[in-house]
Amino acid sequence: MPRSLLNLSPRLRPLLFCAYLATQLGLLVRAQSSPDLVFGFQMFNASSQLKISLFRKLRRRGKVRVVPVHDGAWQAKDRAGAFHTHRWQDRVRYRNLATLEQFVHAAYGLDAQLFRLQFALNDFVSHLANDQETEALIAEVDTLKNGREAGHVRLEAARP
Amino acid sequence: MSAFGAAWRRFFGEERDALVLGLLRLALSALLFFNGLRLVLELMRDGYFADYFHVPLIPEQWLPDRSGYQLLLFVQALAALLAFVGIWPRESLLAASGLGLYFLLCDRLQYHNNRYALLLLGSLLAFTPCDRSFLLAYGRGHTLPLEQRIAPTYARRLFQIQVTLVYLGSTGGKLLDADWRSGQVLFHRFAEAPGIAASHGFPLPAWVLVILTSTWFASLAAKAAIASELFIALGIWFSRTRRLALWLGVIFHVSIELGANVELFSWLMVASYLAFVVPEVRERRFEFASGNPRAQGLARAVALLDWCARFERSSFSATGNERSWFYVTNRAGRRASGALGLAQLAEAIPLLFPLWLPLALYAQLTRERRARVPSSA
Repeated sequence: MPRSLLNLSPRLRPLLFCAYLATQLGLLVRAQSSPDLVFGFQMFNASSQLKISLFRKLRRRGKVRVVPVHDGAWQAKDRAGAFHTHRWQDRVRYRNLATLEQFVHAAYGLDAQLFRLQFALNDFVSHLANDQETEALIAEVDTLKNGREAGHVRLEAARP
Repeated sequence: MSAFGAAWRRFFGEERDALVLGLLRLALSALLFFNGLRLVLELMRDGYFADYFHVPLIPEQWLPDRSGYQLLLFVQALAALLAFVGIWPRESLLAASGLGLYFLLCDRLQYHNNRYALLLLGSLLAFTPCDRSFLLAYGRGHTLPLEQRIAPTYARRLFQIQVTLVYLGSTGGKLLDADWRSGQVLFHRFAEAPGIAASHGFPLPAWVLVILTSTWFASLAAKAAIASELFIALGIWFSRTRRLALWLGVIFHVSIELGANVELFSWLMVASYLAFVVPEVRERRFEFASGNPRAQGLARAVALLDWCARFERSSFSATGNERSWFYVTNRAGRRASGALGLAQLAEAIPLLFPLWLPLALYAQLTRERRARVPSSA
């Protein structure tokens, strides 16, 4: 008869059984309050779409200006005055968030993608060492929930 | 001992034939290998995931570095292969699934329900005696004799519960969503279909467009999808409804596979139905007329496709009193030939299972028609 470390003794079997079930049920319940429904087994939950437009918040001569980012790329000076190109898609490769200025499917729903977009903005501004001009990155998001307009959302991430 | 205590001991001490679990191991380890292969291809195409935007579910310092990740991917692929060929199959299955779960925790953006379900089911299968059959590395002796295949199968119940949880989670999400219940979600999915079909060079006929873009069809499809998932989740637990629930599940997943990109999900769920197959083998009989080429061809097909060892095969003399060239006796002892015999074959052979209900309905219809026509004799 094959021997395996995974042949549990009769005493351990109920432990594994109950611990597994409790964990799964706990994760399922917790998933309901998670924006991206992670561990919730909620497939095909929406036909929603979002369109992301990026803007940079700059401070020039003491004035704050918000300028649009075209195609996700811009040039900015570093401390030494040398220009560097920054590209949103170089860092954010996740397909739902990498596409700008056009409506794309919001996998797992709008809440999921907006939640992840905030993470993406935070991540991007924390990697702007060669950009001494950008103070914050702003995403203006148009949303469609299952075909209906679901409003406009503004997310912002300031440099740490 | 109390009744509860007896039931408890019976449940955790249940020992059944593990042959079908070996087949399930083959399917899941292959899916785990392909899941790992996708990660390897993504690494080659996009680079190391932690070099760009990612959202870990575990502390950042617990993530592997680039070379560690490459090594773990290799170990995962190797473990899936070992599980497939039957070398340390259960430990390998657990290692491949466990590493997959770790990778999911490393980056929330990688999370998809189908991947998570595969990794959970792979982990659970490792606790079943799935190491007693289909051990391909052992050549002709790949399956142990019956007395060595009988083993505790409590973890099979856990596997079954997990399959139900997948469906209940999915159904619950849809039931709680007013847009899903009303068909609004599917309406927009269906509305995209004509454009997608046309872009692939298959323009849809006008009458199909009318149906696909109608709200009543989307509403009906949504309710049918919710009801189907609920029926599959619960129907697989009762012997009277199990076969229909599994058949509906196969059709449901084939239609999803054709209409949506769900990675390995359809394959996974259809494979997981093997856990609901009655574990005992050779409880049905297939008899065929020796010397009849059609009968021998069918017998060869049965021998080739009867992966779950449902049938005891035997031949009878074609010159005897038998009126048909083959007979199939099901578990209830019903001996049949013709369309009903074929239906009884299809109900137990995985590849033919989608044909079971059409054949059974056809057999029922023709029997009723024959009963209505008075005999000329």
